[in-house]
Amino acid sequence: MTVTVNKEEVRIFKGATAKHAVLRYILMTKGDVSKLDSIKIYDSKGHLIGDDAPLREGQAITFCI
Amino acid sequence: MKMKKTVCAVLVVLSAFLTGKVATAQDHKIKTSYKTDIHIISGNDMHATIENFPQLGAIVDSMRRIDKNTLVISAGDNRTGNPLNDIYSDPSYPMVALMNQIGFDCTTFGNHEFDSGQEGLARNINESSFPYICANIFPDPQTGIQTVPYKFFDIKGVKICILGVVETDSKGKPSTHPKNVEDISFAPVEQTIRRYIWLRDECDVFILLSHIGYDADTLMASKFPQFDLIIGGHSHTQIDGGELHNGVLITQNVNKLKRVTHTILTVENGKVTGKSANNIEVAGYPRKNTAVKALVDFFSNNPEFQKVLAQAEAPFSSYEELGIMMCDALRVMGQTDVAISNAGGVRYDSHPAGDFTVNDVLRLDPFGNTAVVMNITGQELRDMIISCFHNDTYGLPFMSGITCQATYTDSNRSDIKDLKLFDMEGKPLNLKKKFKVITNSYTAVICDAPRSDQGEDINRQTADMLMEYLQKMQKVNYQGRRCISEIF
Repeated sequence: MTVTVNKEEVRIFKGATAKHAVLRYILMTKGDVSKLDSIKIYDSKGHLIGDDAPLREGQAITFCI
Repeated sequence: MKMKKTVCAVLVVLSAFLTGKVATAQDHKIKTSYKTDIHIISGNDMHATIENFPQLGAIVDSMRRIDKNTLVISAGDNRTGNPLNDIYSDPSYPMVALMNQIGFDCTTFGNHEFDSGQEGLARNINESSFPYICANIFPDPQTGIQTVPYKFFDIKGVKICILGVVETDSKGKPSTHPKNVEDISFAPVEQTIRRYIWLRDECDVFILLSHIGYDADTLMASKFPQFDLIIGGHSHTQIDGGELHNGVLITQNVNKLKRVTHTILTVENGKVTGKSANNIEVAGYPRKNTAVKALVDFFSNNPEFQKVLAQAEAPFSSYEELGIMMCDALRVMGQTDVAISNAGGVRYDSHPAGDFTVNDVLRLDPFGNTAVVMNITGQELRDMIISCFHNDTYGLPFMSGITCQATYTDSNRSDIKDLKLFDMEGKPLNLKKKFKVITNSYTAVICDAPRSDQGEDINRQTADMLMEYLQKMQKVNYQGRRCISEIF
């Protein structure tokens, strides 16, 4: 499935969680994976969501460290 | 005149008989012609975080001292996420027992309630002293799964109706392993709500207890303003108190019982005239219910963890030997051609001959990863393995169903110059052929090389698959097994 992380499209397996998508994004953008445990993830409306939040096709999330 | 009155009375009685719903609604509205507050404590996606239950028990105790009629409600996904609960001899019984102890009034199904399998779910429901409310589930009667589409609660003369719904994916089933729901059919959420919307006229307070996610909750609120409140779950969305959408209050919290929501509905003359909601921190709550804590302590000292799954005929003496066993477990239990698993996912490098216990498996694979299955070519598999080398600091992944020969650029394994894959007969792998490949969810993410199929989570924890594999094998011997040969 394809989701959007910080406005970038990320292809990932169906059933992935928010944290999975963020990890894939960090790898795509050569970011610092070691900070994964301190991130906060938000949905498109700006709500904080849990790391284990299930994602669906087309969902947009953002994160900050 | 007298005749007219008699005819009118007969018509009223006849009308009441023929349109029972309307008459009932009018009757109970007479009873509730005063102002009162309804208190609700709701949680969602607790995912077996039993360590927060003593605090939740204390929160509920406090609320019940203010209002003994406080409703305690879960929006589903009560289980899955804690081995203390999920691999209990009667899976998920700890959560059921704790929810019974606290006195939950109801739950709906989350997609993970089905992870116990149909037989396990039927057992969990029978053990529960609260109902499972869900209107879009239709279990085959032979499964023994007992559920109700809606339930009325009479609180201080206020008639509350709770309608439950669970999410379904593109295949029309909740997100769980297909075999867990093979004898259960499901209806689309919106269609189901439309079918039951007449309940609005039967109650003073109409609540949707949903496990469909925040976005779907807001959509339902836009289409069905008849609801006073939607208690949501599934998307682990942290709502600050509650949000009003089209006049419908929506609540939800992040997962693992970090917070619950306290909702107050003010009911006056049979109508909700006020709504408010606040979050309560659970983990940091200063008091604990001692009875609930005793139960949590009991479940935390689970002898099940010492259970012997298999005998190791010879000691394991490397990460690779243990990693190959983990991959064999994925490949055999997942019925695939090939399995790969990141080397960093193997958490110890030796194990003596003798007992291999549940605890040993949970120490070896402690991350709660799930299994992901994909259909990819040999070339795509090779690219995945190389990308795993680049993104996992522990090097090449371990594998089953294939072996590999890596040629490194230098003796420090700085980079891979060439990687050859072989089938189990030692012949070069056909890179054009498609293979059914299984891996863990972490490896599926870090292997970011482009591929035609990203795969699908099969909703099975890799540790569970290893336990099942060991029980199936009874005896294991991986002494001297290698899947990676190296050239410098």
